[in-house]
Amino acid sequence: MMTAVKVVRVRGRGVLRAEGDINPAIIQRMYDRGIQLLTGQSSAAAGLSSLFRPSDRVGIKINTIAGRRLTTPPDVALPFSRLLAQSGLPEKNIVIWDRTNDELKEAGYKLHAGSGLRIFGTDAAGAGYTSEPLIHLNIGSLFSTIQSDFVTASVSLAVLKDHGLAGITAGMKNYFGAIHNPNKYHDSNCNPYVAELFDMPVIKTKHRLTILDALVVQYHRGPSYHARWAERYESLIFSLDPVAADFIGWQIIERLRKAQGLPTLAEDNREPLYIRTSSRMGLGRAALNDIQFIEEDV
Amino acid sequence: MKRRRFLQTTAGAGLALRANLGTALQNLYAFGQTANLSHVEARYYKKLPDREIECLLCPRKCKLGDKERGYCGVRQNDGGTYYTLVYGKACTMNVDPIEKKPFFHVLPQTQALSIATAGCNVNCKFCQNWEISQVRPEQVNHFDLPPQAVAEAALKYRCPSIAYTYSEPVVYYEYMYDTSIEARRKGLRNVVVTGGHISPEPLEALIKVVDAIKVDLKAFNQDFYTAYVRGELQPVLDAIRMIGRSKRWLEIVYLVIPTLNDDPGQARKMAQWILKEIGPDTPLHFSQFHPMYLIKNLPPTPVSTLEKLRQTAIQEGLHYVYLGNVPGHEGENTYCPSCKKIIIQRFGFEIKRIELKGGLCKFCQTRIPGIWS
Repeated sequence: MMTAVKVVRVRGRGVLRAEGDINPAIIQRMYDRGIQLLTGQSSAAAGLSSLFRPSDRVGIKINTIAGRRLTTPPDVALPFSRLLAQSGLPEKNIVIWDRTNDELKEAGYKLHAGSGLRIFGTDAAGAGYTSEPLIHLNIGSLFSTIQSDFVTASVSLAVLKDHGLAGITAGMKNYFGAIHNPNKYHDSNCNPYVAELFDMPVIKTKHRLTILDALVVQYHRGPSYHARWAERYESLIFSLDPVAADFIGWQIIERLRKAQGLPTLAEDNREPLYIRTSSRMGLGRAALNDIQFIEEDV
Repeated sequence: MKRRRFLQTTAGAGLALRANLGTALQNLYAFGQTANLSHVEARYYKKLPDREIECLLCPRKCKLGDKERGYCGVRQNDGGTYYTLVYGKACTMNVDPIEKKPFFHVLPQTQALSIATAGCNVNCKFCQNWEISQVRPEQVNHFDLPPQAVAEAALKYRCPSIAYTYSEPVVYYEYMYDTSIEARRKGLRNVVVTGGHISPEPLEALIKVVDAIKVDLKAFNQDFYTAYVRGELQPVLDAIRMIGRSKRWLEIVYLVIPTLNDDPGQARKMAQWILKEIGPDTPLHFSQFHPMYLIKNLPPTPVSTLEKLRQTAIQEGLHYVYLGNVPGHEGENTYCPSCKKIIIQRFGFEIKRIELKGGLCKFCQTRIPGIWS
């Protein structure tokens, strides 16, 4: 019998202050506890050092497409990068990245390409895309050289939200931001494209960890921000299994929708089919029986 | 040999004023700089509740939430208003022989000022210009070139026509439309090179301001369109029919890819359809494929295959059936359908001789359809 994969949800009550900004002490505790529970190590630093070698170059792929209101904010990404550094990785080997410098700046990041922690987009000088498309199944795309060349290990630090085409967007679809033509994979609820993109060696062999930013969950009319359907969920979700993380994210969105009397995503003709496709392709688990779902408040 | 290299070496034609074709995508924006995008409201879309929109420009009818891009990659919903990001922003401008488009019955031996922006509303796995068609406008350098400047450049370089080409002009519809009006004011003609994925309403409007349209018909069955184009055949046939029955000049190009769309039976059905729906005078070009983009595992189309398809279409009754990308082949020439003599002799994009006078065959006075002056 296969061992269940872990998905950890840590809720930090009060992590979102009244003004909407993030309490740094609580987010730190959420990371500490989440990584401990996920890895079984005594500290977050020990847990991360079990996932990454000191020689790794780690890419933290964040999601900044929706602007400042619904993005992976610096107050979420930077504490994680500091934990990585504490685990033994040189800061210069850590890059927080997304598609463009503009989107990063709009989300509140200060670009930095010199020594120490790096923060920049694929369009930054020295980065760019591969000169020829990488081809796999139905995917044919240029890849960000940050993902293809620079990093040896990657973390998808994505915002969990409803998506008008894919059903939801979470850790796996976050890698759409690693290719030059994501708009070409929006047909058929982005299925099988999300799964097939993740299945490419340039992602699959490097992906180590999914963290879903579920501090505010847009459970309807995503991926853009609509206050009416945005829930202060105050949670981070952790998993080593990219499919299981997205599966749990999907269940969370369905629960929030149900509570508001909204139809299920399937009833809305946008069930996130890519999750089952991913499971069929062996990329991870997509059934509650296969997942050990751990929830804890800090 | 890559197609572009092949074209450069065989044609010797085409003045690259701002060459982006043939170069790999580069890191065009220095640290912190922004892309050169327009923010002009699109013309064919409808607003939906909750800041969503539905694009009505092409049959794909993208329904998009706030901040999302259409399939084409060059139109974006910002706050419930849909914008074109490439209005007045060209990524390439060249002076090409009009035969390169190809138009074989439009102003032969003249140059067409040819422009494009990034973007396309399909995703052909064999795209020959994918470096600009299959990218977003941020990913390739665009320069300011408003409609008036395009028309002025055409006059400056003595081009009697402007060609909207290379990528997919439907995705830069507003730019093309306004430039066409500007060009007409200056006595210039407008020619369009398109895959024909466009909704009837914008096409009807476009037809009124342009002179000739060449449609790339990728295959004559939906399975091919699904697997290799990611598009729909029927809207393309509808567009061809609408153009063919208008007063505008129509030519059709069919890129023949070995084993994928080279079945003579399909070519026969296509020729029969053209004959029935439009008539025998629509030029049909069978072009040679060269490995490119996502299909690099197939060889260039054998000339014998092209010849077979050409003969099939001629047997079905089409008067003007050509071969493309095979310089020096007899299939490049225009033959009078009455006396069978060569009336335009070509070598690649070069015209060797023209035996036409006032649109009539010099030998037998048969009227040859096209735009000749």
